[in-house]
Amino acid sequence: MPGRIRKFFASGTLFVWFCGTAVAASLLMVGGVLALIMINGLGFFWPHALLELHLTDGTRVLGELKNEEVIPHSATPAAPEGRTRVRMKIGNRDLYGLDFRWIDRARIASVSTPPAVVAVERREWGNFYGRIRRVERGGRVAASGNDEGWRALQPLIARVNALHDDAARLQRDVIGGINYDLEDARLAIRKLELAGRGGGREAAALQASRQQLERRYQEQVDALRALSDQLDDDAVVLADADGRELRLPVGQIVRARRPNAMNVWDKLLAYAVNFHAVLSEEPREANTEGGIFPALFGTVMMVLLMSVAVAPFGVLAAFYLREYARQGPVVRMVRVAVNNLAGVPSIVFGVFGLGFFVYTVGGTIDELLYAEALPAPTFGTGGILWASLTLALMTVPVVIVATEEGLAAVPREYREGALALGATKLESMIRVILPCALPGVLTGLILAVARATGEVAPLMLTGVVKLAPALPVDGHFPFLHLERKFMHLGFHIFDMGFQSPNVEAAKPMVYVTALILIVVVIALNLSAIALRNHMRKRFRPSAV
Amino acid sequence: MRGASGAARRWMNHGATGVITVGGWATIVSVLGIFVYLLMETAPLFEAASWSKAASVDVDAGERDGVHPRHVGVGIDDSMTVGHVLRRGDVAFYALPSGDRIRPDAVPVFAPGRITAVARSPAGAHRYGLGTVDGRVIPLRVRYRVTFGENGRNVTPVVTAGEPVAAVPAAGASVSTAGAAVPTAGASVSAAGAAVPAVGAAMSAAGAAVPAAGAVARLAFLDGDDGTTVAALTASGRLFLTKVEETESLLTGERARDVRRVEITGARVGTLSALLLDGAGDTLVGGTADGRLLHWDIREAQRPRLMGTYDAGAPVTALAYLIGDRSLVVGARDGTVAVWLSMTDPGAGGDPRLQKVRDFAPHTGAVTAVSPSLRDKGFLTADAAGGVAVHYSTSHRTLFTIPGDGAPVLAAMLAPKTDGAVVFRDDGRLAVFDVENDHPEVTLSSLFMPVLYEGYDVPKAMWQSTGGSDAFEPKFGLWPLMFGTLKGTMYAMLLAAPIAVLGAIYTAMFMRPAVRAVIKPVVETMAAFPTVILGFLAGLWLAPLLETIFPAVVAVFLVLPPVVVSACVGWHYLPSRFNLPSGTVTELVACMVVLGGTVWVCVQGNQQIEAWLFDSNYRQWMLSTFGLEYDQRNALVIAFAMGMAVIPVIFSISEDALSNVPRHLIAGSLALGATPWQTLTKLVMVSASPGVFSALMIGLGRVVGETMIVLMATGNTPLLEMNLLNGFRTLSANIAVEMPEAPQGGTLYRLLFLAGLMLFVFTFLVNTVADVVRQRLRVRYGQF
Repeated sequence: MPGRIRKFFASGTLFVWFCGTAVAASLLMVGGVLALIMINGLGFFWPHALLELHLTDGTRVLGELKNEEVIPHSATPAAPEGRTRVRMKIGNRDLYGLDFRWIDRARIASVSTPPAVVAVERREWGNFYGRIRRVERGGRVAASGNDEGWRALQPLIARVNALHDDAARLQRDVIGGINYDLEDARLAIRKLELAGRGGGREAAALQASRQQLERRYQEQVDALRALSDQLDDDAVVLADADGRELRLPVGQIVRARRPNAMNVWDKLLAYAVNFHAVLSEEPREANTEGGIFPALFGTVMMVLLMSVAVAPFGVLAAFYLREYARQGPVVRMVRVAVNNLAGVPSIVFGVFGLGFFVYTVGGTIDELLYAEALPAPTFGTGGILWASLTLALMTVPVVIVATEEGLAAVPREYREGALALGATKLESMIRVILPCALPGVLTGLILAVARATGEVAPLMLTGVVKLAPALPVDGHFPFLHLERKFMHLGFHIFDMGFQSPNVEAAKPMVYVTALILIVVVIALNLSAIALRNHMRKRFRPSAV
Repeated sequence: MRGASGAARRWMNHGATGVITVGGWATIVSVLGIFVYLLMETAPLFEAASWSKAASVDVDAGERDGVHPRHVGVGIDDSMTVGHVLRRGDVAFYALPSGDRIRPDAVPVFAPGRITAVARSPAGAHRYGLGTVDGRVIPLRVRYRVTFGENGRNVTPVVTAGEPVAAVPAAGASVSTAGAAVPTAGASVSAAGAAVPAVGAAMSAAGAAVPAAGAVARLAFLDGDDGTTVAALTASGRLFLTKVEETESLLTGERARDVRRVEITGARVGTLSALLLDGAGDTLVGGTADGRLLHWDIREAQRPRLMGTYDAGAPVTALAYLIGDRSLVVGARDGTVAVWLSMTDPGAGGDPRLQKVRDFAPHTGAVTAVSPSLRDKGFLTADAAGGVAVHYSTSHRTLFTIPGDGAPVLAAMLAPKTDGAVVFRDDGRLAVFDVENDHPEVTLSSLFMPVLYEGYDVPKAMWQSTGGSDAFEPKFGLWPLMFGTLKGTMYAMLLAAPIAVLGAIYTAMFMRPAVRAVIKPVVETMAAFPTVILGFLAGLWLAPLLETIFPAVVAVFLVLPPVVVSACVGWHYLPSRFNLPSGTVTELVACMVVLGGTVWVCVQGNQQIEAWLFDSNYRQWMLSTFGLEYDQRNALVIAFAMGMAVIPVIFSISEDALSNVPRHLIAGSLALGATPWQTLTKLVMVSASPGVFSALMIGLGRVVGETMIVLMATGNTPLLEMNLLNGFRTLSANIAVEMPEAPQGGTLYRLLFLAGLMLFVFTFLVNTVADVVRQRLRVRYGQF
């Protein structure tokens, strides 16, 4: 027997099991994190049923059931073992002051799902859960009762949403445009002043146009106010589960649903609508509600700018190192150094970007080209250009390494063949080597983009903000505003999760943002892996 | 290119070669230039301070009488464009650097010879008290009004004099019955009266008649916002403390003046040679001609109380508090300069005590003036030989010394922005110096060694870069941040390294290729998780979860090894028809079931486990048993989250190293009869260990610099405890937290660059080591 045991240990089976457990742990961690984000993120769009709890003290609670847990010891030391409590999202923040409520299971007398309750998504104060009492138009009751009110409400919501769209367009395009021109005029006048021609005819003309602009601005603001006034024309009086009434201008409503009355297809449709809304809308309520469009746009924009910067330089450097430089100790050392830069922490690049790009380069540009705007910095503060360049610098080693790998995989015979047929080195590079190495270049670029997409730390120093007033691209010349600050999915997560006043209410949005970010990053990585495999297959030695 | 002539093609070829070479090198140089730039931004921290003479004004020109009063005040405005000299009760302003006299509209003048002492108030930049021959003190304020006009910045000096304070009883100094305000007019007065002959001599030199015994000989003066405090030592050696409180009646708007005067008596009072009040009017410090420091509590105006007497080593000639009133600079006749700290015993409570903590480079002559900086813990000292030195207390540095030419310095001031100094010497000249002194608070030793900060009684390594007020002493100790970095790295690696390496061994050695082709990319996908997501999950999901199921987590670590052992044994002794070969999906699934089941059971039994292991309350238990506090965001959370980030890195590289061990070696080993286990330990691990090592190094490099996870899931408090259950602050998170608020070019800004440089150098070295090891490994495999 002891002999068998010794043999069993000597066989190492035990060790193999520990190794297997390690793999299992890694897999469980990946799966767990992915599942956690998927469940929370995808569940966000689903119109959840509204439960009405009738409590033993006669009050009623209406809301979405979030989770149920065993009451921990620390919360109620006196309570008997094993009792549970449920967490309800009760909404109605303006009435209750909080969005969530814990309720002991023991206090719940019965649970129902009344089909007539509405979930109202509002522009302020979060969701409202309750019933419709009446709908008022211009101060008079237009419809009363839950069902009639519901029917009367639908066209009103459609109307205010159209009004909101108009107002937003007016605000953004027309008034924004006038503002932009006003600022241009102000800077032009200041420039003339700096040049010592502040009193000339040119300046007077500018002043005149500025006054005209200001008049137009006033007109448009009045128009906007008229539009906004129309939003408050209609109102709906709602009542919560206990009958507390709340008068809500219809202009406050984004959309209203009766989730308990919806069938699966309705819900799927609502799911799609919600999904689209998150991707295309502006954020509301300190980023905790509404959409993430500006962050998504900023991320894509920044990554595009970064690719434009990183691709040519990375490829040039790789071609130089592999094809042109004489292979020797210097090139070998340079290669090692470049490789290792990929391992330097991203925050270090952020520090460099802030010091070099923002303060040194940006500050100089401001002094030379934008002196009229000083002391307000133009390029001398963080912006999308500097963030992109910082990330480009951070990811250029990735592109160099991958391109070099791609070049190394191109069989020697190809080069020799091309040269033997009379091509110059440049021609052989462009016609033969580059096409063969293209998958490598693309792999590098995709890996660089994937790394840049998920990186946040350097951006925090070089131009990302929690709420950007304008997108980096708009209708004003020169259309692409590289000096502007921007929003980013990763920073959005950090900001919502850690700097938001109401973290609990922000959590669903954080999960959604995380889901979108992770989907983008993983898709990019998988395509890089696929490209790499494709490349390996193509240049397998046997194929030569 | 098609159809181009041979010459054009050649030309283009050459051109392209040039472009690629230049572009390639430009890219490489700019990438490597990061290091150079970081170094350039950091270097000024360690540059020595420097000075240069900016102007010299002959103050006596035109009114030279060859005799200089010894009671002088000098000052300079923020922008160093106007300086002033206060003597004989007259304030003279000079434009700098030209030296032209500026004559403001109204300057109060007091009869020459009546002023017998000048003291600068610790509150405000240019507030003086002028002690007169008849025992009064005249408050004088100099302000520089700044206006912006046609030709830029204009500085206009304004002088106002306040109502004189009777600092010495009017009845005559020699009369001991000084009224009710002097409850204990001591008998020691007459005995000590003769002990200040030097004062009398100075007075006569100033051209006055032999001063009355009631003349102010030494003066400490405080012109605060809610009142004036004066400590005056008369020519006859009596010390009077006067507090004037001005109150405005809310109803009538009438200003009421409450004057309280008391005589301070004591054995050494007559020998006082320097006096100092703090900025709040709470304490009075006196230095004596026999080398003692006397420390009074004067909060109760009627009852000054001597808190302590200390041996200063040499006759005290000059005293000053640094901003914040906790550090006392003591200058002595033998030229020594020392900083004393006011300390409060935490246990005993009671009075603060003074303790000498730092000696600075001594002067060649007696210290005649000390001028504290208005914005940091720097100060200027000047001596009787004309020498001037600037020191910094926290970093214990003497920044520079300006040699003198023999003429004693009568008064000196460090410019309000510490970028200059004005010095008035006995030769009647006002000298102005420019000072280049951007980072006085930094030395290598203050960065990395414990420093005795104000308010502490032992030297401490601390990081606390900003405080609420100007008087805050910044604490730039990088050690707590380095410690935090090491702590996070250590715990993360302790968790990640075994999982990653064991997993790599299993994947490379025991797994079927078909399974491996799936598993490896899945684990590598983990490497692509943006760390901000891991950080958010760690901070918002894992940290609260761990807080509730901490006992279960402890139990998992305790229970898992025996469970795995028994599962393995059980699997081994299954009837052979179930006994599948190693490396299959089934075995992996079995492992997952064992692991997942253990975790599940422990989490379900969390309350029972807490009851068994931790007496039903793990926080209480940890605190009473080990003295450990449990923070929600702690190193354990970080270990899991950073483990997530780094496991795939280590896993992937070590798996590559292991599976690159030449197949024929393994086949040979197995063919010779070695078991797979023997093959692994004796052959594969031995030859692949450098690869595994380099994987660990690269993982280490990644953990050290990780920012977002640490930023989001630790409390970011710079603690110095190795405790697994509380937070820390790392170098990288510190950069992310403080960089946005750090003013460009300031000390904090450069220190954050230094932190960045340290991370850069560390990770670069670690990665280079890993790279070299891997290169050698590749060469070795090539030999088989």
